[in-house]
Amino acid sequence: MMSCDLFRSSFSAGTEDAALLAHLRTCDRCLDFAARIDADILFRALGGEEMVPPGGVDAFVDDVMRQVRVRGAENTVAMPPHVPVWRRFAVAATVAIALAGTTFVVRNDRAAAPGSIAHYTPRPVSAALIEKPIVESYEGDAAMIVEVPSEQNNVKIVMIFDESLPADL
Amino acid sequence: MSADIRLMMPMTPPVEIDDRQLVQTIREGDAEAFETLVRRKTTKVYALCYRIIGNAEDAKDISQLVFIKLWENLEKYDPQYTFDTWLYRMVTNVAIDFMRNKQSRDNAVNSNLRLVRTSAEAEQGVIVQRKEVESVFENVSAVLSPKQKTIFVMNQMEDLPSAEIAKILGCRESTVRNHLFNARKLMQQQLQQRYPEYAQLWRER
Repeated sequence: MMSCDLFRSSFSAGTEDAALLAHLRTCDRCLDFAARIDADILFRALGGEEMVPPGGVDAFVDDVMRQVRVRGAENTVAMPPHVPVWRRFAVAATVAIALAGTTFVVRNDRAAAPGSIAHYTPRPVSAALIEKPIVESYEGDAAMIVEVPSEQNNVKIVMIFDESLPADL
Repeated sequence: MSADIRLMMPMTPPVEIDDRQLVQTIREGDAEAFETLVRRKTTKVYALCYRIIGNAEDAKDISQLVFIKLWENLEKYDPQYTFDTWLYRMVTNVAIDFMRNKQSRDNAVNSNLRLVRTSAEAEQGVIVQRKEVESVFENVSAVLSPKQKTIFVMNQMEDLPSAEIAKILGCRESTVRNHLFNARKLMQQQLQQRYPEYAQLWRER
């Protein structure tokens, strides 16, 4: 440890000497002396030493390790079980194929159906197109309902021609 | 015979593995090594946090947060840099964030609070004492931005050269020097306004 006399004889403004700074940080008399030579040294007196957190290092370390363990446990619970990479690819491929298949079917349905349905214009049912006799028919602005007898003549078949109804009804 | 040989062998002190090796061990899954690292760095990290934040309890909380972030981000550590540089970067990031939030809260509450000494007290002069300097610093450094204060603390109290601070903060050395210059200027102005007896030290020169 440096003596006060040595400090005072060695000190000069703007010093970066570690030994001088170490002495400055422990000796108030030399701090007062140094501050009158170099005012910028004033706050340098505050630094240097390492500090113990309130409660001590052991308690601090225990707290940190406990929190680390808690976070680790939370992450383990939150994380899904480990799935091998090949299985992830297999699942992804299955989903992709299913999506592509569905898209293909939907597109084909749309390509086939709308032509006949979208441009369908209801027209009066002529007697020549209907083999069975019409029991009763109702006709509105957009729809036509026709009742015809079944084979056994006990159940009536109702045919509805309505442009506003969905094609796959 | 073998006992005699053991007695004759010189006692070698346990070799402490360096920070990089310790990090490697932690990455390999050794949680006890992390505890060793925390124990090794606690006083350093806490001291820096305390000097930047100026409050023991907050500094303790922030230090703990730093170590938890350290644990979560250890994979990102690049061993080509010194571990302390990386650690200090984490400390400064967390502390500056905390200070920014705190400053915005405090500014709303304490904007009019000021400790000003009377001219009579100032005329009596001052005997500079470390304890007193600590509270003076806390008051006058309140005008600094979190970054200015962090740089000032690292340079003036942790004795880190501006080149090292630039590495820690990921900025240019000239930026660090600018911040230091401005911090000193602002603090001298504060000293003149609030602690004229200390400001005399500058005038006496």
